[in-house]
Amino acid sequence: MKKLAIIALAFLTIWSCKNDDETPAEPTFGSVVLDFKNIIDNNGVELITDTYTNGSNEAYNISELKYIISNLVLVNSNNEEFVYPVDRSYFLINEEVLASKKINLADIPAGEYTKVRFGFGVDQSKYPLNGMANFIPTAEESGMLWSWSAGYKFIKFEGTYSAADTPFLIHVGSHGTNLDNYKEITLDLPNTLTIAESTSPEVAINADIAKIFDSTNTHSLVEKSDVQVDPVNAPKIAENIKTMFSATGVTN
Amino acid sequence: MQLGLLIKINLKLFIYIVFILFGAACSSEKDDYVPIAENAKLEFTIPANFPEPSYNVTLNPPTEKGFELGKKLFYDGKLASDGVISCGFCHIQDFAFTHHTHIVSHGVDGALGTRNAQPLHNMAFMKEFTWDGAAIHLDLQPIIPITAEVEMNETFSSIINKLEAQPEYVKLFAEAFEDQKINSENILKSLSQFMIMMISANSKYDKIERNEGSVFTENEAAGFELFKSKCASCHEGTLFTDQSYRNNGLPVDPQYNDIGRNRVTGLADDLHKFKVPSLRNIELTFPYMHDGRLKTLEDVLNHYSDGMVDSETLDSQLKDQNGALGIPMTADEKQQIIAFLKTLTDDDFLNDNRFSEF
Repeated sequence: MKKLAIIALAFLTIWSCKNDDETPAEPTFGSVVLDFKNIIDNNGVELITDTYTNGSNEAYNISELKYIISNLVLVNSNNEEFVYPVDRSYFLINEEVLASKKINLADIPAGEYTKVRFGFGVDQSKYPLNGMANFIPTAEESGMLWSWSAGYKFIKFEGTYSAADTPFLIHVGSHGTNLDNYKEITLDLPNTLTIAESTSPEVAINADIAKIFDSTNTHSLVEKSDVQVDPVNAPKIAENIKTMFSATGVTN
Repeated sequence: MQLGLLIKINLKLFIYIVFILFGAACSSEKDDYVPIAENAKLEFTIPANFPEPSYNVTLNPPTEKGFELGKKLFYDGKLASDGVISCGFCHIQDFAFTHHTHIVSHGVDGALGTRNAQPLHNMAFMKEFTWDGAAIHLDLQPIIPITAEVEMNETFSSIINKLEAQPEYVKLFAEAFEDQKINSENILKSLSQFMIMMISANSKYDKIERNEGSVFTENEAAGFELFKSKCASCHEGTLFTDQSYRNNGLPVDPQYNDIGRNRVTGLADDLHKFKVPSLRNIELTFPYMHDGRLKTLEDVLNHYSDGMVDSETLDSQLKDQNGALGIPMTADEKQQIIAFLKTLTDDDFLNDNRFSEF
């Protein structure tokens, strides 16, 4: 009986190690770049110089445009999800900084992906932390922290409007536990994204900035040019932002 | 018999050998393991008369090194732009971690805040933080005082740079956290580990509530009865707060024009509402109210009986059906309530050197 036990144990030991060594075909990983482009009327946004007109017939210029993208997920053709590690999944898109508009995702399992999902802003239900706090330095350097609060501004969209160059300012974030303006966005890819070990595919994502004013809801600057912790307008604008993204191309 | 014993010993030996071999055979995965000093877990004990904590202790379990690091950071002026104003500067243990004698808190370069520093105790049991709930998690709360211009006026990037230049911090972070990194998350986690251990649950009141042999004096007992009927609907339960935000009828001070909870929610309904504070250690946390305008407990009770002003958001409990404002109390009743409130002072907590700077 005891000899049997010894033999069994020895076998188990050897087998368990062997099993480690003989994992069938090592999984391979690759990377992808999500290339964000802020557009209005199909053209890239030009800060300060270009004048645009919104659906309420208000002319405006943009001086600052920044927003937070987080919690990236890639979905493959079998509807299986690859959740990008949350501690590396917070990004600031800043119109002024070219590099910020290219989100580089690495260590993704090789495969065919058909959808990409991401968050606009910071998901409070993911608190505490989980890497979120390590985004603080980036957020504070770009003025995306509310100075009086421990919360993030999800978007900072500023400029001037009307002939009189009146400033407008749109800051949307969550309002404590009272109002959560975090939005999840799922984009169908126009063609399949192939992640493989030695390729560097790109997904082109357009953010139609005009939709901040005009989409599900209409926002007029004459009516409200200063949106900060605004329980009426902030959620409407967040709804609009949810609709502004589209995946326009995949280069494998 | 002897043979049996031999086999037994051999079996044991064999198992040891197998385990050693097993370990060696599979050890290649752990090549990059860097041994660090032992970091014992700290016991987080919920007092018998307390509710379950709001803080999820399992996600950031306090350890000896994490606590030590949190305490060092708490008392270190490096967290402020001037290298002087630490957390402990405005949160002084002798006064239940409040900024004693200061009406509003002082920050870097003599800057003045607009609110009175709140006491720090039983933080693990609180759902939201600051007078208006601008921090919805304890791990995030320190962001506010650290980055506020009138408080510590510092950035996390700069703090990380300063800490990285200090060998003792490099060592402590490595000992306290698995990833060994000096980063915002670990700074905040260690501060939380320090703060969640700050439990005040050993006042005379607690000893009575837990039937540990203490008894109220006649005055305290009368005060407790009055408290239950006049105060406990907001200062509820053993934490002495229902953690809601209410307007308690303070006239708006035009110097600050503090809109209170409205700043967080933007809702007109939240104008001039502030968090109902815990009353534990209230004897020592003077001055009182969000802006420290009232100096003594007598002043506070006088406000509640006679000092209130009406407004759109005044708490409905502070107005009777005839429109009379306040909580009626006689002078004797006030003295009895104050006698009761003093049973909430926890000397063990105030003198606990685990939390002391030196």
